[in-house]
Amino acid sequence: MKQFGALLRKDNQPVRYLVVDDSVFARKNLIKMIEMFGGELAGEAGDGLTAIAEYNRIKPDIVLMDITMPQMEGIESVERIVRQHADARIVMVSSVGYQENILAALQKGAKHFVQKPVKPEVLYEILRYVLSDDPNGAGAPVALAGESRS
Amino acid sequence: MSRNSDDRNSELRALFFESAAELLQSLNEAGLQLEARPSDEEVIRRVRRVVHTLKGDSAACGLHKLSELAHELEDVLTPEVARVHGADLPEVVLTAADSIGAMLSAYQKNAKPPAMHKLHAMIRRLLDTPGSTASSSSEAAQKPAHFAWTEYEQLMISEAVHRGDAVYNIALRIDPNSLMRAAAFQLIRNVLHGSGTVIALRPEDNVAAATVEVVEAALASTQSQEKLFHRCRIPSIVSEVHIERVTPSQMPEHELLGDMLEAQAAKVVAGSLEHAESDRTSKSPKPGSAAVAVAESTLRVDATRIDAVMNLVGELIIGKSMLHRTLAEFDKQHARDPVRGKLADAMAFQARILDELHKCVLKIRMVPVEQLFRRFPRIVRDVAKQCGKDVALEVSGQNTDLDKGILDALAEPLMHLVRNAVDHGVGSADERLAVGKPARGTVYLNAYHQGTQVVIEVRDDGRGIDLALLRARAVEKGIIKAEEAQRLSDQDALNLIFESGFSTAAEVTEVSGRGIGMDVVRTVMDRLKGTVHVTSQKGRGTTFQLRAPLTLASIQTLLFRVGGRLFAVPLSSVVEITRIADHEIHKVDQREVLRLRDQILTLVRLNHLSRLRSVDSPNAKKRNFVVVIGASEKRFGLVVDSLVGEEELVIKALPGEIVTTDLVSGASILGDGTVVLILNVPAILSRLSRATPLGAIA
Repeated sequence: MKQFGALLRKDNQPVRYLVVDDSVFARKNLIKMIEMFGGELAGEAGDGLTAIAEYNRIKPDIVLMDITMPQMEGIESVERIVRQHADARIVMVSSVGYQENILAALQKGAKHFVQKPVKPEVLYEILRYVLSDDPNGAGAPVALAGESRS
Repeated sequence: MSRNSDDRNSELRALFFESAAELLQSLNEAGLQLEARPSDEEVIRRVRRVVHTLKGDSAACGLHKLSELAHELEDVLTPEVARVHGADLPEVVLTAADSIGAMLSAYQKNAKPPAMHKLHAMIRRLLDTPGSTASSSSEAAQKPAHFAWTEYEQLMISEAVHRGDAVYNIALRIDPNSLMRAAAFQLIRNVLHGSGTVIALRPEDNVAAATVEVVEAALASTQSQEKLFHRCRIPSIVSEVHIERVTPSQMPEHELLGDMLEAQAAKVVAGSLEHAESDRTSKSPKPGSAAVAVAESTLRVDATRIDAVMNLVGELIIGKSMLHRTLAEFDKQHARDPVRGKLADAMAFQARILDELHKCVLKIRMVPVEQLFRRFPRIVRDVAKQCGKDVALEVSGQNTDLDKGILDALAEPLMHLVRNAVDHGVGSADERLAVGKPARGTVYLNAYHQGTQVVIEVRDDGRGIDLALLRARAVEKGIIKAEEAQRLSDQDALNLIFESGFSTAAEVTEVSGRGIGMDVVRTVMDRLKGTVHVTSQKGRGTTFQLRAPLTLASIQTLLFRVGGRLFAVPLSSVVEITRIADHEIHKVDQREVLRLRDQILTLVRLNHLSRLRSVDSPNAKKRNFVVVIGASEKRFGLVVDSLVGEEELVIKALPGEIVTTDLVSGASILGDGTVVLILNVPAILSRLSRATPLGAIA
């Protein structure tokens, strides 16, 4: 089993995640990975609408968001979250067939995307990249702290 | 998956079969729904979503056969396919549900999943339709040309470098394993835009990105090169990063950017003009003409669409004043409510944006007067030839912008004026030489902005208008009486040429002088809420000045009440407002006049002029407001009961059958729904100068 260096916040606390997917299985899969990366599951949502509510409630450091969901699709959810929280870090999770949607999500402010099936080492790198983006310097509470890999 | 612990795998597998059973159930339900409503796109989307989830989950679990099947199935679950094969699609979905069920139970028993030939064939049949051929357009991949920026981009880079900005040329190789090129490109774009100012980018859009391997950009950034390098190494997207800083020595010093832009803009304008011209002369403009090539960034839009936008903006402005009124009421009722301030702020913000929007839309409608002026060289030449004269045309102020609608309306009056100038204004060569002028006459066309008006002048260096002849002709035609003719001031006499049925040319010529031209000029200018003004010096020439508002859409007005009714006059025609007592009004020649700072001002009462029903007698009041209104150099005082205020009005045209008087040029609606009539100042003036003195004599 592969070891990943823990992804931590600047204050050495675990990174807090919100996992959004209508498939329970997909969520569990992602949560397993998050835990491998030393993260903390702050919340889960099965649709875009709940995702928005959860985001507002828990203010996670990272959102992993599926693109196709009932009630509200990922794109709209991204748009709404980013509109309210410009600093939101959302990583889209989707399969190759949904390029158009990924494109739209990126235009709405998603930070990155990862293809299904998600490989832990790919997701790890992506999260590391997204977390290290700290355009406002000290302004953002989240940035990468501990790194065991380089 | 193999890297993870076995524990985790088996746990995930169990979870997968659990959720897969649910998905299968949904798929069956959705399949039945689809059978009932084959073309319902929402149902198709639902099926697709279920299949999609199944695909993702099974792939994650390593069940590739199932994942592939789901993937194939997903491809046919589109509204397009449903339209072509409406009845077949539900059948496929239900068959697929059965097949997936069979595969799942096989997987669960760790058995080899059954082959699904029948289903695969069905899916293929749906895809192999003549209409939906697979997109096999594999464009030749672009060669990675290193930082081949256009001249314009180079200029921008050079500008930035010389300004002291750090500019980097960046080349990013898209990870060959990345299957979503367009999304990858979008992400690169996001990152670049987040790191500084992107001056140039190749490819330029997502469509082109599908086949591209290397993204090139010129980026002005305050971040360090090292930081940029890290930002650009986007995991799973970018496999290779190359960054070099652009040094000032690499970039030659260019001319000022402003000059360049101006030249560019001039080119575009020239292009669009040429385009418009070719449109007028031939209905089918030649493709590939130079104009088309230059005016790439110019859109040609149906004028009615712009008018529609204009109208909506007009409605918004009404809405704005509606809000303002409501806010004012709110202010009165809840003077201490803190919400008031917030509302006012929000209103101010909205008003500012609306103002900008309004200006933008107005600008869209603006065209340079050149569009109109361009046709005159030819007209002057033709008319001069017919009259046997030598006349040159000098044009200036072609770049003056004005509303397209007004420009079009001005075409006819201007045509008359120019023809007249050549035909009547400029004398024959012999005549000119006799008075010491060059044989060649000149007609000048000029345009410029003045306040909120545009002025167009037609001037000739001809013989000028003979006032004595003019008076004589007016009497002869029965337009005025002989004794009246002598009383007329020179300017009033000059204005006689605008009376209908008047022409001073001794002979009616083929070109002009039918005696209708000048009349038309004034009619059109009245309609445009503009004015026409003529000055003439005998032997020196004549000048016609057309003044029109920059736009017809909205005007700043002064609102006032007369006889209980609300009226408006254009603010631009208001000279001053004064208060007078009744005893200051004198009667001269049956006219009410007022002595205002040693000037005699004719007073007008709206309820006298038109047959407005007088609700209450204004004479009963001790003091009245007088609004002094001026058009051209004429003035009159409008007696009003009360002043309401200034307001920007959006003019709504009034159909002729509703309004029979020419004293009203249009109407508007206030925020509270009140209808306001907008007075036609020139019409009142002409009514004044005609009706009252004639009435006094008769």
